Amino acid sequence: MLDFLLRVFGKDASSSKNVAKDRLRLVLVHDRADVSPQLLEDLKEDLIKVITNYMDIDERALEVNFDNSDNTVALVANIPVIKMKRNAKREEKIG
Amino acid sequence: MGEVIVITSGKGGVGKTTTSANIGTGLAAMGYKVVLVDTDIGLRNLDVVLGLENRIVYDIVDVTHGHCRLKQALIKDKRFEGLHLLPAAQTKDKTAVSPDQMRELCTELKKDFDYVIIDCPAGIEQGFKNAIAGADRALVVTTPEVSAVRDADRIIGLLEAAELRSPKLIVNRLRPRMVKSGDMMSIDDIIEILAIDLLGVIPEDEMIVITTNKGEPAVLDNKSRAGQAYRNMARRITGEDVPLMDLYADLGLVNRLKKFIGFK
Amino acid sequence: MTNIRGAMVLKKNKGSKKGKKLFMKRENSFEVDNRFEFEESEIPAAVTKEVETKAAAAKPISKPVSVGNEPLQQAIADENTILIKRTVRSGQSIQFDGNVVVLGDVNPGSEIIASGNIVVMGALRGVVHAGATGNEDATVAAFKLQPTQLRIANHITRAPDGDYVAPEHPEIARIKDGVVVIELYQMGQDRQIKIG
Repeated sequence: MLDFLLRVFGKDASSSKNVAKDRLRLVLVHDRADVSPQLLEDLKEDLIKVITNYMDIDERALEVNFDNSDNTVALVANIPVIKMKRNAKREEKIG
Repeated sequence: MGEVIVITSGKGGVGKTTTSANIGTGLAAMGYKVVLVDTDIGLRNLDVVLGLENRIVYDIVDVTHGHCRLKQALIKDKRFEGLHLLPAAQTKDKTAVSPDQMRELCTELKKDFDYVIIDCPAGIEQGFKNAIAGADRALVVTTPEVSAVRDADRIIGLLEAAELRSPKLIVNRLRPRMVKSGDMMSIDDIIEILAIDLLGVIPEDEMIVITTNKGEPAVLDNKSRAGQAYRNMARRITGEDVPLMDLYADLGLVNRLKKFIGFK
Repeated sequence: MTNIRGAMVLKKNKGSKKGKKLFMKRENSFEVDNRFEFEESEIPAAVTKEVETKAAAAKPISKPVSVGNEPLQQAIADENTILIKRTVRSGQSIQFDGNVVVLGDVNPGSEIIASGNIVVMGALRGVVHAGATGNEDATVAAFKLQPTQLRIANHITRAPDGDYVAPEHPEIARIKDGVVVIELYQMGQDRQIKIG
């Protein structure tokens, strides 16, 4: 009954048009970002450059991807850390 | 000096050709000199929608290849003095014309006509590049469907990359009843996603099928709702300020009551 | 071979009153659009340009079997003739220096351009141009003659606007007194014209 009422008054969040709209939004983020494999590769290299200032990581196992679950688009990076560089900050100050 | 307007969509079957025919005819009915250019080489259709298919002697490829003069290839409409069609070739393909040739053609047509309406083929390949080459502004047609809106977004990006700034949107085949029940994206939803200005909305109308069968654009039918929408759109193109028609007016007492109470 | 069969079918319609009536009606309703009439010097380049065959499936017959003394068939025997054993569909173009015989339909949106005659053993609904290099004696014959546009030499006709009756009998188009006329195809009549 409540469903019916919600429907009548156009407030149903799960109505098919809202589903369509949400799906479109996600798809368009991808489309507009124009994420090419090359771009991801460049991003990976830059990430490695910055991160290695602070810690040793397993560069071959590093994964960077766009994830669009849960109604949002997220940049997900999986970076296996081998060990922290204890004197990272100090090195930078000296350098 | 006239204006070249390209009508495009990306996705096929959303109503580019019907829209081109109706806007062109609508402008001609207002007394402007209009030429409709079909750039869908190999899949020409604008001629049948206008009911001029059996008058074609020369086509756009004959013109660009110098087989005939431009004036010889222009087909005069049987209803309006000011309306002309430059048909596409049916036995060639998109590569028969280059963007440079299209630019030259548009410059030539602009001298004689107030409006040069270019019906663009579906897709983003050579045919699309040809169609937009000589255009001054662009109209993007979409329907309230996920696939069509996505393709429209892609096309808008490509138009902007080609320096065709601020294209206008035409939403075709809207079903007010479904929008009301929440089963179709509304104009606001689409505008919010695409973020461009709206030129007009055409409601789903069975008259379109009938008028297309007969080869007479719906814009000439006073009883057709789609025809009314096209007439309004033609006036907006000329710079007139015409309000959007109320598509929800005849949706029954309950809806009117709802509106009255303030539920939206 | 096929010509014989075609002729036999056609013979049945000879002298049919219904056919005669149809012919009158069609001759009147088929209008010649003078706007398209171009001067001698303006014959479309697309047409006068070197005619070539694009019909992959078809193979030209240099010396067709001579059948009877049917004038149309005689004309066919005089020149190169190409036999197309399929339906010509939208977007396809057949250009040939000689006669073209189609064993199938010619659909809207397709074109056949021949320097000689065109015979369609089926429905002709596309654009045809017979005698494309200027031969005014060229003819176009079809089981169902309802072309989008029909051209013979430098004459152009098109189907009338609005509804018109679909032909029920084989018909032939030719130039008579400078005008393209459509007639019921009759063997006897054809013979008379050629002999007399």
